[in-house]
Amino acid sequence: MLARLEGVTKRYRTTEGVRDLSLEFPAGEIVGVLGLNGSGKSTLLKLVAGLLFPTAGSITVFGAAPRPSRGRTVFLGETDTLWPWMTPRDASRFMEGLYPDFDPIRFNELLDALEVPRRKTKAMSKGERGRLRLAMALARSAKLYLLDEPLAGIDLISREKILMQLVREWHTDETILLSTHEVAEAEGLFERAIYLRDGRLALDARAEDLREQGKSVVQTFKEVLA
Amino acid sequence: MTTKEQWILDMDAGPIFEQIGRNVRMLLARGDLHPGEKLPSARELAGTLSVNPNTIVHAYAELETQEIIEKRRGLGTFVREDAPVETMRKDMLTQIAKTFVNEVRRLGVETDEAMAALKEAWDAG
Repeated sequence: MLARLEGVTKRYRTTEGVRDLSLEFPAGEIVGVLGLNGSGKSTLLKLVAGLLFPTAGSITVFGAAPRPSRGRTVFLGETDTLWPWMTPRDASRFMEGLYPDFDPIRFNELLDALEVPRRKTKAMSKGERGRLRLAMALARSAKLYLLDEPLAGIDLISREKILMQLVREWHTDETILLSTHEVAEAEGLFERAIYLRDGRLALDARAEDLREQGKSVVQTFKEVLA
Repeated sequence: MTTKEQWILDMDAGPIFEQIGRNVRMLLARGDLHPGEKLPSARELAGTLSVNPNTIVHAYAELETQEIIEKRRGLGTFVREDAPVETMRKDMLTQIAKTFVNEVRRLGVETDEAMAALKEAWDAG
């Protein structure tokens, strides 16, 4: 098991992020983490990434606490933290300094595949920056990728490129948790879908099983979270 | 080879692996894919359709069991030379005919009238 959560609750000062979550993530799954805004998707990913600590319950990643495992986990957050003066080349140096598993050659290939222009980020569109950020994340070689809303707020073409690249890059022993509320486009990618509502697990299902019952991941989203 | 436009997937129409199988049979029946021809690799097709590679692997395994395609060591996946294309074509025609009949019956139309309409549409098209 790559990651395991047992009875995990994360309480913020006034609100609850997630409540009593027990989940297991084996190696080799692409998992959709689905829910409306504020349902706890980001909290779940950040807990597994070791960026937040649970208020109650326990989390193990690669058999240890999430924080010491951080070097082996890739986390792509929702907020764009790229400096405006940064070019993809600067981003590469920055990542090389931070992560020993970052591969600059791979990064360049990814920039080409995702058609990221080689200019400063302040001169890039939101979609181009989103693609750059994905290239930075995928140029690391890890077994666990936590991608928080990589499709949010960017154009359709960029979203398609990102999804296609994820399919091409994914190795069958790697696990990807991808949170999104743009379920329709990513539906085919998911083997498993986790639905969160108000921080609780509403449903955990295999995507093909849902379709076997005549319901898409999208349709199930509407029914479970209505 | 095949392009994205040739594949029809409907997320509300059952498991994707089955739909991939139907698509391959359809491509063969229509002559857009031929016996002996190479299929895209699972990963290639997964990328084209934005579908999980495991789902394509599953679909190909089913088609292999149905003796429609075969893996050739080190070369990839191919349509079998003896793939029953004619049978698939007939099955598909039967299926379409059944759909037509069901729709027409719901209109309360008799055979003669339905056949006349079919002929008329055929000649017009």
